[in-house]
Amino acid sequence: MQFFCFHLMPWDRLPDDFASHYDSAWTWLPNQLFDPAHGQTLYNRYLDELILAEELGFDGACINEHHQNAYGLMPSPNLMGAILARQTKRIKIAVVGNALPLYNPPTRVAEEFAMIDVMSGGRLIAGMVVGGGPEYYSFTLNPTFARSMYTEALDLVLRAWTEPGPFAHHGKHWRLKYVNPWPRPLQQPHPPIWIPGAGSKETIDFVAQRRYSYMGIPYFHIDFFQRNFDGFREACQKNGYTGSPSQLGWLVPIYVAENDEQAWREFEPHLTYFRRNLLKGLTIFPPGYTSVRSMARIHGALDKFLANVETRRDIEAGAYAIVGSPATVRDRLKEHSQRLGVGNLLGLFQLGTLPAELTRKNMWMFAKEVMPQLRGQ
Amino acid sequence: MTVANRTSFVDVRGKKTQLMVGGQGPPLLYLHSAAGETDWTAWHDALGQRFTVYAPAHPGFALSEGLDEIDDIHDLAWHCVDLLSVLGLERVPVVGFSLGGWLAVELAILRPALVSHLVLIDAAGLHLDESPMEELFIDDLDRLRRLIFHNPDHPAAANFFPSSRTDPRLLMWLRAREATARVAWNPYLHDPKLPRHLHRVGCPTLIVWGDDDRLIPSAHGAYYAEHIPGARLELLPSCGHMAPFEATAECAALVQGFLHQPSAG
Repeated sequence: MQFFCFHLMPWDRLPDDFASHYDSAWTWLPNQLFDPAHGQTLYNRYLDELILAEELGFDGACINEHHQNAYGLMPSPNLMGAILARQTKRIKIAVVGNALPLYNPPTRVAEEFAMIDVMSGGRLIAGMVVGGGPEYYSFTLNPTFARSMYTEALDLVLRAWTEPGPFAHHGKHWRLKYVNPWPRPLQQPHPPIWIPGAGSKETIDFVAQRRYSYMGIPYFHIDFFQRNFDGFREACQKNGYTGSPSQLGWLVPIYVAENDEQAWREFEPHLTYFRRNLLKGLTIFPPGYTSVRSMARIHGALDKFLANVETRRDIEAGAYAIVGSPATVRDRLKEHSQRLGVGNLLGLFQLGTLPAELTRKNMWMFAKEVMPQLRGQ
Repeated sequence: MTVANRTSFVDVRGKKTQLMVGGQGPPLLYLHSAAGETDWTAWHDALGQRFTVYAPAHPGFALSEGLDEIDDIHDLAWHCVDLLSVLGLERVPVVGFSLGGWLAVELAILRPALVSHLVLIDAAGLHLDESPMEELFIDDLDRLRRLIFHNPDHPAAANFFPSSRTDPRLLMWLRAREATARVAWNPYLHDPKLPRHLHRVGCPTLIVWGDDDRLIPSAHGAYYAEHIPGARLELLPSCGHMAPFEATAECAALVQGFLHQPSAG
């Protein structure tokens, strides 16, 4: 099992009346609510937390890309990746990922990822995503072309990394006469590819067919992960091989404290802020963003989405978050990760308003009292 | 009285196209809106009293296929050119509502000989800095209902969209949204080059608008009327974007009067 510390870098100062006054934490949330002075504190604090992950023995740090929102303040995860390349020495830097259709032309992703890989000495994990539904509103980018842009861009990035340049690319969405990015990645033939997915069958089949790794997007009931990961393994079989646990990642909020009651007492208000405020507006599916069939399937799963789950009992039952004493967290993670068959655990150790000292305590207790026992698996 | 109608499929250069035909009289082409009104409604029936109404479903709507070959509104207009060719129709009156109105005016510019008369009802197609269109691509169906109907409690309003995630109409609704977004996401519901071509519309043109259209303000109707040679604008009082459904009789009477079809009695 490999352990990653995933950071969303959320805005932690939404007004108290947010839930009643604003429809969404995304796209339309007035940016006057962002206070740059507090932003300076937050960015530096959050980066320190990822650097701490290396000191505590994690295998990697994960960052991701979102735009025009309070949920995650990283419109450019590659900036953060570049900082981590310099400020860490050992851990993997998993950028999961770049939203390919938002890069024009997408050879920018080949360039920037190669920069991070070279600077870090080959520690990049290259995540490539379609981008969240809200992104298509924020960029006024036609969601009905999301999948075909994504597929074309991904192939172009891979080709730019593996085929000697210059070469010409004539696609539906981009036409480039001279593709010849400098630098090239250090890892050969290219950095590992991780693809996060929210359960669309198209994505699962695609990742299995290419033998990349599939990261299950969080905040759904554990059964939803199970179905998707089982589907992934079936898709691997259909493609003539047995899927490896290292091809699967489970992303889940984790909070460890001295005992179960203390853990819930400390964590719950911050989880509630996250659920009620930051998730508001995330599950927006612009038309054509995914197939009508997948959309109907995801609509069906929304009743089992963290934003719509209120009680501690339901959160525990669905493993939406793993909260408790070291023993509790250890047992739950062991039980679920074995059943899910995952080889990568992507923990969210900071969520919502969780302050610095509790975040560090959480990470520290996890690293000392949970991770070692799970490592042997 | 409901006139006879039937739905079948025609092959339009490889695109399976759903076509509903009904009514009696000379032919009339009806181009539907983003809502995808491809079943026979009271509005189709009102037109069908005096005309044989040809009501195709655009690619990606209802059971029509071929959205993969549509990238923008001009591809959709060429599809209409091909469809009329398959049907052997030319010099027909074309009535377009909303998205269909935009499509109708593009068709009249592209192939003037195919269009004898043009009727644009609360048509998309333009961007006016001082009268921007509202956001159509919202998931909250109640909000959408309030946006496009002057009276959201109008019986037609309840019938238009699915009411929940489990409504069996949801799949067709999602298809309609996707097919609309394909041609109307960006530029949003308009063609930036359209204004410079409006002078090419050579046929008699009637423009009908709900005076309380909050999705596409009536200033858009006034712009069309001003820039299409000889066009006439009729505003419907206390009526929203969904004019053919909120004011069915008034809309039908305007169309019939404009097309000079005497009553069959």
